[in-house]
Amino acid sequence: MVQKILVANRGEIAVRVLRGIREAGFTAVAVFTPIDRGALHLSHADEAYPVDSYLNPDAILAAARRAGATALHPGYGFLSENADFAQLCADAGVLFIGPPASAIRSLGSKTAARDVAIAAGAPVVPGTDGPVTDIAEARRVASQIGYPVLIKAAAGGGGKGMRLVEKESELESALRDASSEAERSFRSGEVYIEKALIHPRHIEIQIFGDNHGHLIHLGERECSIQRRHQKVVEECPSPLVARNLPMRHAMGEAALKVARAAGYTNAGTAEFLVDADSNFYFLEMNTRLQVEHPVTELVTSVDLVHMQIEAAFGAELQRKQEDITWRGSAIQCRLYAEDPANQFFPSPGRIDRLRMPSGPGIRLDNGVYEGWTVPMDYDPLLAKLCVWAEDRPRAIARMARALGETEILGIANNVAFFRQLLQDPGFQSGQLHTGFLKTFAYTPDATLTESELEAAIAILASAEAPPATAAPTAIRSNWSRR
Amino acid sequence: MKRILLTPDTEKEIDIDPSSAERHALETGTTLVLDKSGRVHKITHGGGRLLVNGKEVQLSLADPRNRRRNANAGNDSGRRDVKAAMPGKVIKVLVEPGQTVEAAAGLLILEAMKMQNEVRSPGPGTVAAVRVAVGDTVASGQVLVTLE
Repeated sequence: MVQKILVANRGEIAVRVLRGIREAGFTAVAVFTPIDRGALHLSHADEAYPVDSYLNPDAILAAARRAGATALHPGYGFLSENADFAQLCADAGVLFIGPPASAIRSLGSKTAARDVAIAAGAPVVPGTDGPVTDIAEARRVASQIGYPVLIKAAAGGGGKGMRLVEKESELESALRDASSEAERSFRSGEVYIEKALIHPRHIEIQIFGDNHGHLIHLGERECSIQRRHQKVVEECPSPLVARNLPMRHAMGEAALKVARAAGYTNAGTAEFLVDADSNFYFLEMNTRLQVEHPVTELVTSVDLVHMQIEAAFGAELQRKQEDITWRGSAIQCRLYAEDPANQFFPSPGRIDRLRMPSGPGIRLDNGVYEGWTVPMDYDPLLAKLCVWAEDRPRAIARMARALGETEILGIANNVAFFRQLLQDPGFQSGQLHTGFLKTFAYTPDATLTESELEAAIAILASAEAPPATAAPTAIRSNWSRR
Repeated sequence: MKRILLTPDTEKEIDIDPSSAERHALETGTTLVLDKSGRVHKITHGGGRLLVNGKEVQLSLADPRNRRRNANAGNDSGRRDVKAAMPGKVIKVLVEPGQTVEAAAGLLILEAMKMQNEVRSPGPGTVAAVRVAVGDTVASGQVLVTLE
């Protein structure tokens, strides 16, 4: 009998994984919430079962039992990085397609992952292990790690009790200020010192392990184009690493050290910050398939979902490290239901028109369709538009072409924003950093040339109802309704 | 034929010759218009919006004979409705009836797609009515607050 794999997710990632499951010769099983009754991912499934929430482990496992599923793929988000859920699956005899619960747990928080990385000898952002109170110690530590440094509240968050210190003469007063602000905000004046990375890049390494002790890396992804810590554009290779290939090997080795120390198997991603001098520092491990995995697949010619399934069922990795090669350049734009003209506010609602690009070098991981109402209850990712080309300039040109073919009406979206971003000289030169979008000003452009306006009027005139029957006062409101 | 071209903030009388442009219907909702110099313009419409060569615009035509009535419709009171720009759930109401508000003052907070957004006053005024309550799910275009 053909074995079944359940996908505990929704949207584009559920579609992507269900496709991989069918390709691998398994029966594809979906789950859906009441809100998602008409969602696209169901159409890629052989069986589908209702659940009340994608976050309810019991409901998901009950669906797996009903289906008789042998294995479960969590996708990303929801329960994908929940060690207890991975354990529940293992206890229920359902293969969790991902790392073992123990590895998720030991890499689960940033601080736990940092400890694992330090013990494994991977570079982390230099700083003090414990709190610093005395100015002499602060001076010694700061000059050791090099200015600028950040003073951070040990109990803190949200920038409270945080001070940027450019030089030693500012250190003492900054330490005092940070400590008293921390005391007021968190009732603990404890602060620590960390190297301040100014305009770092966010570069991550895809790793993969089987259950037989083989661990490889599949190179990097550049993810510096972010807004509010949300990635927006990702690429492989990183424009920085492409100019400095030994970095790929060094970062890959560092990622594998952390993975080995945590007993890691299956797909994972080690995130690094990279400073202006190309020093890299381990940040955290994402113990799941990443949203941006397609750019790695396009450049390395692997299928990570197939690899995940094979490894989970106990197969040995077919590729060794030396078999992994990188060819060409891939870029992904995350198409979000958000309004770039209005502070990127989310924009759920009905998709009245949807035209997606195709042709050479295009990969579209899509989760929506024309006529569907994007619910307000889930995140605003509609689709991931990816391109591959021989090199980065050609990939940018191809993405611009693809975005030109993309038309979405009915909900606000960031297609026009991407068209502008790709024209930006800074983006084109590859000089990226995590603050890039703060300095990039999107200007909505709804100005038509004279002949465009004439063309638009011609269409409106031909679509117009006979004047005698048109409801006179309704005309204007019809056209301004969203 | 005479028509009034309406955009969100302007209106202009124009004269249209419906036969002037060559049109090719594509898939539903999309038409190509070839202008006199041979340029191809791709126009997609749906849900009351237009995409002209990928640029989203708000344009509509009105009959000049209805102009007076259109003008009157906007003039019948000094009240202004603040509408939801997108669907969402009301998380917090920040004003009450009778309260005076400045331009850009927060009126209420809507949540959608795991993000909270403050709806702000389009101008100074007095809150005449709050049309929604905490916990309500609102549709796009629904009136949230009426100002006067």
